[in-house]
Amino acid sequence: MTHAADHSPVLERARPESAKPKQPRIGFEGAMMTPGLILLAALSIVPFLALIAMSFSHVRLLGGVSLDLVGLRNWARFFTDADMWMSWLRTIVYFVLTVGLEMVLGVVVALCLFRVLRGRNVLLGLLLLPMFVAPSIVGLLGRYLTDSTFGLYAWVLRSFGYSGDILGSPISAFAAVVLMDVWEWTPLIALITLAGLSSVPQSVREAAAVDGAPGWMTLRYIVFPAISNVLLVALLIRSMDAIRYFDIIWVTTNGGPADATKIVPVRLYETAFRFFDLGYAAAIGLAMLAFSILIARTFVRLLDVRGLTR
Amino acid sequence: MDGNPLGPTRRDVLRGALAAGAAITLTSCGSQEDAPHVASADQWRQFQGATLNFISENTAPTAAIAANTRPFTELTGITINIVTLELTALVQRVALDLASGHAQYQVIYADPYQVLAPYQRGLVDLRTMQAEPNLPHLPGGVSDFIPAQMDAAGRFVDPNAYYTLPYDAPTMIWQYRRDLFDKYHDRMANDLGFDPTPSGERTWDEYYRIANWFNKNAGSDVKYGTGHQARQHDSLMNDFSNVLWSYGGAYFDNGKEVGRIGSRDPGPCRLDSDAAIAGAEFYQKLLAIADPASTTWDWDGVGAAFRAGRLAMCPNWHEFAASNEQVMPGKAGYSPLPRGPVTTANMYGGTGVAISDNTRPHERGAAWLFLVWATSSRTQLANLKSKAGGGTPTRTSVYELPEVRAAEKRPSPMPNMLTAAAVREAWQPDKIGLRPKIPMWNECNTAIFTQLSRMLTGGATPEDAMRTIKARVDQIVDRGWVA
Repeated sequence: MTHAADHSPVLERARPESAKPKQPRIGFEGAMMTPGLILLAALSIVPFLALIAMSFSHVRLLGGVSLDLVGLRNWARFFTDADMWMSWLRTIVYFVLTVGLEMVLGVVVALCLFRVLRGRNVLLGLLLLPMFVAPSIVGLLGRYLTDSTFGLYAWVLRSFGYSGDILGSPISAFAAVVLMDVWEWTPLIALITLAGLSSVPQSVREAAAVDGAPGWMTLRYIVFPAISNVLLVALLIRSMDAIRYFDIIWVTTNGGPADATKIVPVRLYETAFRFFDLGYAAAIGLAMLAFSILIARTFVRLLDVRGLTR
Repeated sequence: MDGNPLGPTRRDVLRGALAAGAAITLTSCGSQEDAPHVASADQWRQFQGATLNFISENTAPTAAIAANTRPFTELTGITINIVTLELTALVQRVALDLASGHAQYQVIYADPYQVLAPYQRGLVDLRTMQAEPNLPHLPGGVSDFIPAQMDAAGRFVDPNAYYTLPYDAPTMIWQYRRDLFDKYHDRMANDLGFDPTPSGERTWDEYYRIANWFNKNAGSDVKYGTGHQARQHDSLMNDFSNVLWSYGGAYFDNGKEVGRIGSRDPGPCRLDSDAAIAGAEFYQKLLAIADPASTTWDWDGVGAAFRAGRLAMCPNWHEFAASNEQVMPGKAGYSPLPRGPVTTANMYGGTGVAISDNTRPHERGAAWLFLVWATSSRTQLANLKSKAGGGTPTRTSVYELPEVRAAEKRPSPMPNMLTAAAVREAWQPDKIGLRPKIPMWNECNTAIFTQLSRMLTGGATPEDAMRTIKARVDQIVDRGWVA
C-alpha cells in the first residue's frame, strides 16, 4: 500500500525528472494485442504487400515461387485490355441489377410481411430458406431448373412459347444468373428491413393514420425516413458481397455464352488459376480491391453523415 | 503486488511462445523425408513401407484403380493414396505443388496440354528411370504404347525424351442410335440419295443432311438429329476442331507436328485461312440445326442427352460407350467421325502419368513402380473389366489379347471395346486429331472457345470469329510462357 501523500502534486513536482519510472514502449494492452496483430499481418498485410509486388512482376512457379520485375507491364495491359473493360461493364450492370432488385423486392416483401399478423414467423422462416443454401448449390439448382431436357423453368417457359435455351443465349443467361442471386439474397434485405420496420414507433404511424395520411405518404414521409439508415446498412452488406460474386456463375455458365456472364471475379479466377498469370491477376485483384473500397467508402460516408458510425 | 524479479516477464513468455510456434511451423513445412528403402533381391519390394500420393482427374481408369489398389500394395508394399479431381482443379493443385518445391503428389496425371506443356520442366524425364538398373523396366518398352499416343501424351519438344506414359485415350468418334439408323435406313437412303450408315467414309455434309432428315422425319423417336458439346468450354474447341481440320484448317503452320511433339514457339496462328473460315461456316450451319441446348452442354451434357434418347447421333468421347451400353444396351453404334473436303480428324484427349521432379530419390523409384504397374497390360486389362471404371488401354498388346478381341462384339463384358474398330482407325497418324501442344494453350483455348461461342450465339460471323481468334492467339503466343 502507498500513502496518499506520495501522490501529492508538490512531491511530484519536487521529484527529479530522471527518477520518473520509465514507461514501457509497448504497454500491457499492446502486448496482449501483439498475437492478434501478428496474425492479422500474416493473413492480410503480408499478402497485400505480396500482391502489390506481384502486380509489378512476372511470377515464376517452377523451382519455388520467384518474382521477375516487369515494371508497369501488367498495369499497362490491365488498362488496355478491351476484354477486361467489358468485364468491368458487365460487373457494374450486374451489380446495379442484383443490388437494385434485391433492395426493391426485399423492402416490398418486408412491408407485406409487416402487415401480416398471423403466421408471420412461419412465413418469415420459409422466406429465409434460400439464403441458407450455399451459393454453389443455388447455381446447381438453377442449372437443373433451367436445363432444357428436364428443367422445370425451361418447361414453363416453353409452354409460354419460349423455344430457346435459357443458359444458351447471352441475354437470357445473364438474366438467369442475376435472378438466381436475387432469389438467394432478397430474403436478407427483407429480414433487415423488417427489423427496421419494427422500430418505427407505433404512435407515429397511428398519428399519421388519424390525420388521414394515405399509405404511400406514410411510407414516403414516416416509414422510409425512419428505416433509411437500416436500408443503408443492408445496401452496404449486399454491395460488398455482389462485387465478389463468383460461385453461381462458375457453376451455371462458366462465364459464357460468348462471355456474357464473365464478370471481373470470374476473369480474375481464370487469369490466376487457369492461366497462372499471377502477376496480371494481382493487378486485377488490386483493382477489384480499390473498387470495393470505393463502394464501401461511399456508403460509410453516407452513414457518417447520419452519425451512424459513432 | 510485486512480481518475482527473477521469473520470466509476460513479454518473455510471449516472445518464447512466438519463437516456438515459428520453429514448429518452419520445421513442419521444411521437413520432408524420403521414402524408406530396403535392400531386397525383389526389385518390386525395395520401397515397401512407402506411401505415394497420386493426383488424377476423375476418369474411368483412375476410378478402376482406386476401387482396387490392393494388387499394387501386395506387389510392392507401397501404399497409394489417390486424389481425384475435376481437370481444372487438378491443374491448379499440380501447379501449386510444383511451385512448393516439395512433392506432395509424387505421381501426376499429366494432361499434355494443361500440365505437360506448361510444366514439363517440373516433370521427370522417364528415360532416366527406364535406364536405372535397379528398377523394373517397362514390359515391352515404350514401343508397346500406341505410337501416336506415346508422342501426343508423352513427349514435349524433344522427340526422344518422354515425360509421361500414356494412361488413358479418350477419342472423339461418331456415336449414333443404331436402332434408328436400322429402322429408317431405306427411307433415308431413298430421300438423301446415299447410304446413311455411319462410317469414316461419310462426309460432314452428309452428317448434316442425316441430322436434318431426323429433325424432319423421326420426331416420334428422337427430338433432334444431332447434338453437340458447344458450351463455352474446352468441349467447344474439341467439337469444332474435328470440323476445322477436316476442312483443311489448322491452328498453326506445321499443325500436325505442333500437335504431336509440341512447340514452345508455334509461330503465327492460321485460323484466318480460307479453309479455317470454311470450316467455321460449316460448323455454324451444323449447330443451327442441332439441339438448341447444345450451347449449354459439355461432353457430359451431350452424353446424357444421347442416353436420354433426345438425339439420333452426336460426336463424343468414345469412353462414353460404357454408360451408353448400361442405359440403352445394344442401341448405340460407333464409327470414326465423318471426313471433310480435305481430310478426316478425330480429336484425341488422352493423358499420361508422370512423376514430379520435386520427388526425392526413393520416392521417385517408388513412383516409377506405380507407373510401370498402372500402365502394364495386366492392369489395363483389369481396368477394362472393372465395374467401377472402364477406360481404354493404351498398349497395342492389350488390343491383341483374344478376350479383348472377343469383347469387340456384343454381348461384350468390356463395353468400351465396342468402339475398338472406330478408335483403331481414329488413332492412325493421319486421322488422329491433335490440338496444339504449346505451354500457353490454356489461354489460347479460352480465346478460341469464347469466340466460337460468340459465333454460335450470333455475336460474330464465322470470318470475324476466326480473325479475332487469330489476333488473340497471336497476342498470347507473343507474350510467351515462363513457368
